[in-house]
Amino acid sequence: MSRLNGRQPHELRPIQISFDGLARVDGSARFSFGPIAALSSVSGPIEVRLASENASQATLEVLVRPLSNVPATESKALAATVRGLLTPSLILVNNPRTLVQIVAQALVPSGSGTGLDPKISNASAVTAAVVNASTLALLNSGSVPMRGVVCAVAVGRRKDGPLVVDPDAGDGALDAEGCFAFMFTRDGDDVQARCVWTNWKQGSGDEGVLSAARELASQAAGDVYAAIHANVEGMVNVKPAIVVLPTPKEATVMEVKKEKEEEMEIKMEF
Amino acid sequence: MSATVLPGTTVPAQHVNLKLGPGLLQRSGAGEAGPSIVSTRAGTLNHSSNGSKWWVESNSRRYIPAPQESVIGAIVQKVGDGFRVDIGSAHSASLDGLAFEGATKRNKPNLKIGCLVYARVSLAHKDMEPELECFDAQTRKSEGFGEVKGGFLVRCSLKMCRDLLDPKHFLLPLLGARFPLEAAVGMNGRVWVNAKEPKQIIAISRCIEAVDPDGGRLDEAGVKVLLGALDI
Repeated sequence: MSRLNGRQPHELRPIQISFDGLARVDGSARFSFGPIAALSSVSGPIEVRLASENASQATLEVLVRPLSNVPATESKALAATVRGLLTPSLILVNNPRTLVQIVAQALVPSGSGTGLDPKISNASAVTAAVVNASTLALLNSGSVPMRGVVCAVAVGRRKDGPLVVDPDAGDGALDAEGCFAFMFTRDGDDVQARCVWTNWKQGSGDEGVLSAARELASQAAGDVYAAIHANVEGMVNVKPAIVVLPTPKEATVMEVKKEKEEEMEIKMEF
Repeated sequence: MSATVLPGTTVPAQHVNLKLGPGLLQRSGAGEAGPSIVSTRAGTLNHSSNGSKWWVESNSRRYIPAPQESVIGAIVQKVGDGFRVDIGSAHSASLDGLAFEGATKRNKPNLKIGCLVYARVSLAHKDMEPELECFDAQTRKSEGFGEVKGGFLVRCSLKMCRDLLDPKHFLLPLLGARFPLEAAVGMNGRVWVNAKEPKQIIAISRCIEAVDPDGGRLDEAGVKVLLGALDI
C-alpha cells in the first residue's frame, strides 16, 4: 500500500497553525491539514438576543461558512455538529445570559466532486479542520473557560483494506470513513483523550473496525494536541511582530526584506 | 516558575492557605485522593514564591467584570436616577447618579450621552448586571474617579492594561519624559489619554498599539525608534 508523499497510515498531512489576530473578534485562528484549511473566530461572552438568552449559562452559537455560496444544509449540519462537540469542553455557567459566537470559514471547497474523482470527498477532513480551528480560536480568545482541548482527525478505510489517518485523494475511494473528535486533558506527562464525537460510516464489517478506527484516530489526535500545545507556547511567549521603519528611504528596502521573511515563515510553520 | 498550560491541565498546587487566581478551577475528585486543581485557560502558569497563590497569566480582548477593578466606560443612556455605562462587557453597567463625590438629590452630576467616566466596579456577579461607583468606598472621595473630559480613548488588550498599570513598565514613563501627558488606565481594555497637542495624543495612541502584546509587541528600543519616526 502506498500513500501520497510516502505517508504512513498513522501519519497526518503537515499541520499549519497560525493566530491571525482578526480585528473585530475576541480570538481567531487558522488550522490546516496540508491544503485543507479552515479559519475560525470567536466572540464572547457578548450581548445575546433575548430569544436565545439562557438564564443559567452562556449560549453557544456556531456559524459555518462554506468557501462559496451561502451556507446551505451541509454548513448548517456541520455547525450543529461543532456546537454539539464543543459544548462539553466549555464551562458556560460562568457567564449566564451571554453569547459565545464561533464563526468558522472553510478555506477549501468541501463535499464531493472537489477533485478529479467525483466519488472522493474531503468533507471529513474539512470537518476536522473546522473543529481544530474553532478550538484554537477559543484558546486564543482566553475569555471562555474550558475543561479540555478538543481535537479532531479524519480516518478512512481504503478499498484495499487498511485504515488510514487523514485520507487524501491518493488513497482513492474509501469504503468506510468518518471524523473522530477527542477531548484532551493532561496530568503532568499523562495525556488523556476521551472520544466526544464521531460520524463513522462503514458499509461492511463489524464493531471491531470502528474500535480500530477510533484507536488510530486517538493516536493521530494526540499529534494534533501536541502541535496545538507547541503553537500555544508560541502564542503565549511572543516576539515582536512589527518592524519599525526609521525613514521613508530605508522603509522601501526593509519592506521588501520583510515580505521575503514572511514568505519563509509561512513555509516553515509546522 | 512559568510553564505554558492548556485548559484541562492538572496543576500541582498544594498549600494550607491555597488561593486560586484567574484561570484555575478546583474540581472535587470523585473517589480519588482529593480535589484537583485544573487550568481553564491557555497561558503561563505562575505562582507566588511560597506556593499559596496560583494563577494562569493570559491575554484576552473581552472584559469580564470583577469587583474592585477600575474601568473606563462611556455613558450610553440615562435611566431614571442613574446612567447605563458601556464598559465592554456582555452587559452594560449601571452607575447611580448619587455615586459621585458630593452628590445629593439636588446636586447630581450632569453627564451627557457619550461622556467618559473613570469608575470602580462595585458589584460584579454573574447573574446581575455590573454596578459602578465614581468614588472610593471607604473615604467617599473621588480619588480620581468621575468624568474625564477631553482627551482620547485608546482600545488595547487586557494584558496591555495590566502592564500599563505596573509601575515598572517602561512605556508611560518613557512618553512622560518627552512631553507632559495624563492617562487613566481601565482594566477593561480602555485607556484614556490626554496631552497638549493632537500629535502627542496620536503618538501615545500609536505607541500603545505598538507595545500591545496582542498587536505590535514592540520593546523599549522599538518604541524609541517609532517615536523618532513620529517626530516626537
